[in-house]
Amino acid sequence: MGPAPAWRAWLAVSAGGLVGSELRYGLALAFPDQPASLPWATLCINVAGSFVLAALTTAWMARPRTAFWLRAGLGPGLLGSFTTFSAVVFAVDQLARAGQHTVWIAYLALSLLLGLAAAAAGWRLGKRLTRQPVDTVSGGRP
Amino acid sequence: MIGAVLVGVFGVMGALLRFAVDSWFAHHSSTRSIRTGRGKQKLHWPWATLLVNVAGCFIIGLSHGAAAGLELGPDWQAGLSAGLAGGLTTFSSWTTATVRLIAESRVGAAALNIAVNLVLGFAAAAAGIALTA
Repeated sequence: MGPAPAWRAWLAVSAGGLVGSELRYGLALAFPDQPASLPWATLCINVAGSFVLAALTTAWMARPRTAFWLRAGLGPGLLGSFTTFSAVVFAVDQLARAGQHTVWIAYLALSLLLGLAAAAAGWRLGKRLTRQPVDTVSGGRP
Repeated sequence: MIGAVLVGVFGVMGALLRFAVDSWFAHHSSTRSIRTGRGKQKLHWPWATLLVNVAGCFIIGLSHGAAAGLELGPDWQAGLSAGLAGGLTTFSSWTTATVRLIAESRVGAAALNIAVNLVLGFAAAAAGIALTA
């Protein structure tokens, strides 16, 4: 964690936030939600983002010397902005109000199950990818 | 075109706000654990993500109601919902933090993280819609 983030981290979060938001907005325009159907674009975005962020998180735990601005720009910046919680909640709310009970339950369940499974898979991958080099190169670091 | 610009501007605002909340909580929790001095047990819980997710759900509810009732244009609605609310809230940090809690054998804290985000998120969205409807 360390002291207050330097200006570099804030700049990286801005850049990551811009790219992540525009990517999500562009995908929503390219694959618009159909009425009374699952918001697939948001689901894919959230599942993919969960996988990558979890992989990066464990990779950075193994390599804490990674520059803070880089971690901030990719994690909270790019992936934090690319994925969205509010769109899931709002879509579920609207589907429920429209009486689409099978759709909102399926969407909420798939978001949770696939999102958590993707994060768990990413978590394992990040650990596996970073364990070997760290062990062989610098054996004694706790 | 205007919609994409507004999504970008508000998306950056949302990301910076979320990063500010993250940083504040990271700093606050580290000073608190030093003060209590009860060993070196890390009792982190993703409060920052909960706060931004609930706030973002309120904003997306407000923007929906404002578009319907207060004649907010579609470009500005996209800026507020996809940009500000989308940039402020995060799904990936929520799932990653949950997996981290499970990896630390804190299953109860992980389940609470899922439940509280959802319950307060839905309540905040409904409140935002109701306020502007």
